[in-house]
Amino acid sequence: MDSDHLDSSAAQPSWNPRVNNSKTAEASKTSERLLDRDAGLMLRVREGEEACFAVLVERHRNAVIHYLYRMVLNQAVAEELAQEVFLRVYRFRATYEATAKFTTWMFRIATHLALNWIRDGRHEKTQESLDRDGDGAVKQVRDRCRTVEQEMLYQAKLREVRQAIEQLPSKQRAAVMMHKYEELGYAEIANVLRCSESAVKSLLFRAYESLRIRLAHMA
Amino acid sequence: MGCSLTKSAAEELIVGYAAGTLDPAARAEFGQHVISCGSCRELLAQQSAVWSALDQWQPLPVSPDFDGKLADRIARSPRASGWNSIFVNWTWRPLIPLAAACAILVFALLLTNSTQLNNPPPGNRSTLRIEQQVERALDDMDLLKQVGADVSIVSPAQPQKI
Repeated sequence: MDSDHLDSSAAQPSWNPRVNNSKTAEASKTSERLLDRDAGLMLRVREGEEACFAVLVERHRNAVIHYLYRMVLNQAVAEELAQEVFLRVYRFRATYEATAKFTTWMFRIATHLALNWIRDGRHEKTQESLDRDGDGAVKQVRDRCRTVEQEMLYQAKLREVRQAIEQLPSKQRAAVMMHKYEELGYAEIANVLRCSESAVKSLLFRAYESLRIRLAHMA
Repeated sequence: MGCSLTKSAAEELIVGYAAGTLDPAARAEFGQHVISCGSCRELLAQQSAVWSALDQWQPLPVSPDFDGKLADRIARSPRASGWNSIFVNWTWRPLIPLAAACAILVFALLLTNSTQLNNPPPGNRSTLRIEQQVERALDDMDLLKQVGADVSIVSPAQPQKI
């Protein structure tokens, strides 16, 4: 089974410093071993070992749902789309080939579904997209350690962050979510989005520039 | 005094520095650069603010019945084997619109033929009416002959013989 290199082809800046967009060397070796294990599990699912599919779901369920939640800004929709992701992984198990990392394939399906949902749901966007309750309050897990004032400030900040993310074009949003929260490198994001690394950098840097304009006052 | 870095190089270093993904040597070198470069220092501060703001956005907990619902959906979905595998095979997908177009064309042709049988063209309809009228007129004349009336055709200018 193949294992892709993490960011081995990242372009070097014109200045001297080496830019390493992956984790530290030891952590990346560990993650590569785990990711190789995912491909191995998926190959066993292909051979009919359905228990391995349950292991894959257990390992990646939260990451997929959280990624989709940050893309579509709605928990119920995110879970529905995540179900569809795993259903497709299961449905196409017979044709799975370990030519790319399992997570690349999985995030590719997730991104495709999220981008389609965003495109199709754009004209129907309502306040529900911001996960509001019936009384207009933003649904969020309350931290019992915060005072009421701190909680209100936190909710206000959160609203700003979500609005800034929502205003990003969908592909820029996907690139930021994968880079920031899934800690994927430029090469892997490029594989997911089926574009070049330089295109990914362009997407990311434009997205961060927009976010700096909108969120820099939070410093 | 301008920055010695290109815009793209500076962006990459700033994003990497704020994300903590630069290797130690690169981090130290860029840290030195930032001390003397005001624009990079400002951008780094903004990027760090963005990074920590994004850190605050925690996801919601996953529904406890997610796995159960997924298992139900998988159990209900048709297994891709035999005939089903043909339909889920990606090579068949491009033929579906073509097949749909052919079906619509055939249906339209059938509908057109059926319409022509039930509704003959207007020209045929008026011919039929004239023939019927002539037959009726001849029948009337026969009837009148039988009762002794003079059924010779008289033009309006000639007086009728009694």
